[in-house]
Amino acid sequence: MDAYFYIILVVGLVSTVLCLGAGILRKAPNDVTILSVVAVEATLVVYLVGSIVRVVAGEAIAGEAWEFWGYMATAMLLPPGAVYWSILERTRWSNFVLAAVGVTALVMAARMNQIWY
Amino acid sequence: MKDQQSRTAAGGAPAESVRNTRNTGPGRLLIAVYGVFAISATARAGYQILTKFSEAPVAYLLSAFAALVYVVATVSLAKAGTTWFKVSVAAVLVELAGVLVVGALSVFDSVQFPHETVWSLFGRGYGFIPLLLPVLGLVWLYRRRPSRTAAAQAKARQ
Repeated sequence: MDAYFYIILVVGLVSTVLCLGAGILRKAPNDVTILSVVAVEATLVVYLVGSIVRVVAGEAIAGEAWEFWGYMATAMLLPPGAVYWSILERTRWSNFVLAAVGVTALVMAARMNQIWY
Repeated sequence: MKDQQSRTAAGGAPAESVRNTRNTGPGRLLIAVYGVFAISATARAGYQILTKFSEAPVAYLLSAFAALVYVVATVSLAKAGTTWFKVSVAAVLVELAGVLVVGALSVFDSVQFPHETVWSLFGRGYGFIPLLLPVLGLVWLYRRRPSRTAAAQAKARQ
């Protein structure tokens, strides 16, 4: 597991806890929960850029390259999708949808790490 | 969700659009999780079939079938109307049967089912969410069943 994974681990868990908490407290999605999911997307962008740099620099992906990029693309689609949905329905339940993004991103980052090394 | 329901019931006008749907409130969360499973199961099954189908055709066809069930469940839960409700019930029941049968087979006959699918070992590789999802799905479908929502609609009209 590299630094990218640990960054996503921390940001993803913080985002999930914040969104779960807001959902349990019966709050609608607000700036805090939505921005925490935006932060997850930001960490994925960092991972994407870092990975592109490493590949261009000549480092090889141990596993299937297209599997790695597939996971990356799917993971990056989740936060915008969840945020869009939470804007459409402003109830506490959207916070639980937002909460799912953090854990899913961290599971996918773990898988991406396995493929890379 | 509760105040949304009472609001529309009191307001009257948009009642029928709210009544026979399953894509608001907790259903939204359910669809989101089903959607993630639909995408990941489809990707995994596609990968397995394209790269190593001959290793375990049964297991990988099962993976593809599971992926299809998740896609159908996701789409049908998101759609309004009684027909889509029935499709949802069918998909979720197939999913429940699938996770129980494949889960049991993978435990008792691990020689025949050594290759991973979403439903192997009752979905252990996915945090047992595949086992939990159909149960939650059935509970949600029961709470939003069309007969009940029709009754609520009639009540709102009075």
